[in-house]
Amino acid sequence: MAYAYLFKYIIIGDTGVGKSCLLLQFTDKRFQPVHDLTIGVEFGARMITIDGKQIKLQIWDTAGQESFRSITRSYYRGAAGALLVYDITRRDTFNHLTTWLEDARQHSNSNMVIMLIGNKSDLESRREVKKEEGEAFAREHGLIFMETSAKTASNVEEAFINTAKEIYEKIQEGVFDINNEANGIKIGPQHPTTNSTLPGSQGGQQAGGGCC
Amino acid sequence: MSDSEATAAAKGAEVVQEEFQDALEMLDSSPPTPDISTDVAPTRKARRRPEPKPAAAEVEEKPKTPSDSTVSQGGWGYWGSWGKSILSTATATVATVGQGLTQVIEKAETSLGIPSPTELSAQAEEEQKEQDGQSGRRRIGGNGKCDGNADVPHQCRPEYYVIMDITPKLNLHIFFSLQGKTVITGGLDALEFIGKKTMDVIAEGDPGFRKTKGLINRNSTLSQVLREAKEREELQQTAEEESDSEKKAVAHYGMLFDEFQGLSHLEALEILSRESESKVKSVLTTLSGDELVQLREELELIKESFSLVEFDDEEVDEKKDEDGSEFEKEIMEALEGLSITATAEKLSKACKSTCSQITDMITPQEEESEEDMKTAPSVESEMLNVFLFHHEIHAAAIRSLAELTARSIELFHKLAEMILFANGSTEAGVLSQLTVVLCKEISLLSKKFTSCLTTAGSNEKGDVLNPLITGVFLEASNSASYIQDAFQLLMPILEISHIQRRAESSEQ
Repeated sequence: MAYAYLFKYIIIGDTGVGKSCLLLQFTDKRFQPVHDLTIGVEFGARMITIDGKQIKLQIWDTAGQESFRSITRSYYRGAAGALLVYDITRRDTFNHLTTWLEDARQHSNSNMVIMLIGNKSDLESRREVKKEEGEAFAREHGLIFMETSAKTASNVEEAFINTAKEIYEKIQEGVFDINNEANGIKIGPQHPTTNSTLPGSQGGQQAGGGCC
Repeated sequence: MSDSEATAAAKGAEVVQEEFQDALEMLDSSPPTPDISTDVAPTRKARRRPEPKPAAAEVEEKPKTPSDSTVSQGGWGYWGSWGKSILSTATATVATVGQGLTQVIEKAETSLGIPSPTELSAQAEEEQKEQDGQSGRRRIGGNGKCDGNADVPHQCRPEYYVIMDITPKLNLHIFFSLQGKTVITGGLDALEFIGKKTMDVIAEGDPGFRKTKGLINRNSTLSQVLREAKEREELQQTAEEESDSEKKAVAHYGMLFDEFQGLSHLEALEILSRESESKVKSVLTTLSGDELVQLREELELIKESFSLVEFDDEEVDEKKDEDGSEFEKEIMEALEGLSITATAEKLSKACKSTCSQITDMITPQEEESEEDMKTAPSVESEMLNVFLFHHEIHAAAIRSLAELTARSIELFHKLAEMILFANGSTEAGVLSQLTVVLCKEISLLSKKFTSCLTTAGSNEKGDVLNPLITGVFLEASNSASYIQDAFQLLMPILEISHIQRRAESSEQ
């Protein structure tokens, strides 16, 4: 139950690209072909292990509908990672990436790790966006890239976990100030007797566990 | 049983049995006056205890002196090992308060406005002073602590005990120490009142604890309070997993609340509330003269309807709404036209499953205990079963309260999103009605659960049952205040929505 870190993620992208399905596949390991439209934001959480440390991912799955945009923007702040999702069978969802990216960069902290996801890779026959295009966009904007299928679960784990790995590395490099909750990272509740879960075991980090 | 049957376990069982019988006798023989206080009971019982003590018990009681009061603590010790998991002795993670128990209780007592418990408390204290020549308060403190941790009955430091009490989860302790005096009256009103008073008193000495009142003071947010509670519980649980081999179903409200995503919805609601609040402020700075006066008046009207929420616990009748359908009806009525049916359905589903859970608990319980009699001749294991059963009810109650509260907050969050999204006119009155319905439901369910506990434990001593019952009432009271606080978060959202609608209509 106890975790070393908690990372806040947001999932963003056009409506119908499969954001909620990716989350459901990641948290519950199941696929639901028909999903209700997300209103505002919904949540999921799961524990993962990186470098022997328990990390809790708290995922904010936002509504993709344009009309919700002004509300969902409010939720970007304080996210450590973002999954920016498009649908490989719908070119328009790929074309909107720039707007999403600008929005995300503007309303969140600059260190936020962004993973670009081309979802629905199982629908190869209906593909409209080539994998190379996704890769190129990611390279150009400094994002990590992956093609996933929420239906077959292909690469879904990897997408969430690789994002966490990137965040974790940034913490190790000292890019993220983990004591600042605006970065979307919280240190887990510290056990008073065992220091094994303490990263680097700096005493000062203890304070971060409580609150701000 | 004879002394030649000299296994330690058997002896232990014997003592437990004796104590149990003593307790039953006491219940039978005592007049129904409030002085069947649990503070007093163990002492009396100890006096009646037969002289030749089993060897096993002596080993356990080794560090004790033969004085009356400590013998009584030995009595507590046995129950104490049970109580251990009830109170789940947390390590003192919050060590900010150095205030002694004596002081706190004193303050609590003087500030309590309820006459009968106060009298009772005085009475109980008198008795204790007579009995052990110690300060009554100190003694209670010692007992409470010992009960929580049977291993160190003689290192009970009242100060330490209070420090532990500061954690919201462990509010139970304070009640526990007070229970002999105050819980007797039994009413939720009284409990709520005492709870509030106690919090006030503690908060005076501890700025950190003021966080429970975060929304009033604006020092910290409700989600922070709850997150801290959850984190403490997580720590506790890790500690329990590491050290405690005897696995018991300890219900952690905060963790369950988080599991049902209550914390996340609350955080999101707070974000929306904060942003709306700053938008309202910035709009007000751009206006001047008559326009400003008029808008201020309009906003004042909205504010008023947020301060009018009254919820009378007396009206809650536990007999009604057995399956939760009435609640569903009321919720749906309150939410008509607000287009958040999915969330509301989740809520009433949670409520219905709780109701059916309670019904299940009441009915098969008696059969079960009969079966236990047949299959488990050992008194010890039978008692353990009864004990576990109480714990199951308690755990189910805490879980249900956590779930319903989380769902209620989810509902408020979704409402906030819909109000901002659709920008239709939502009457504050509807929302306050909704709040009342939710709080009533929480109160109703807590009453059902506690009467369930009372029925299941009708043969039980008060000191086993009371902490559980108190715990349920306490979390119910907390749940209701979280819901009311979340309701308050909707105010800036209605304000900005009003301003936006106003702007739209003036454009046309």
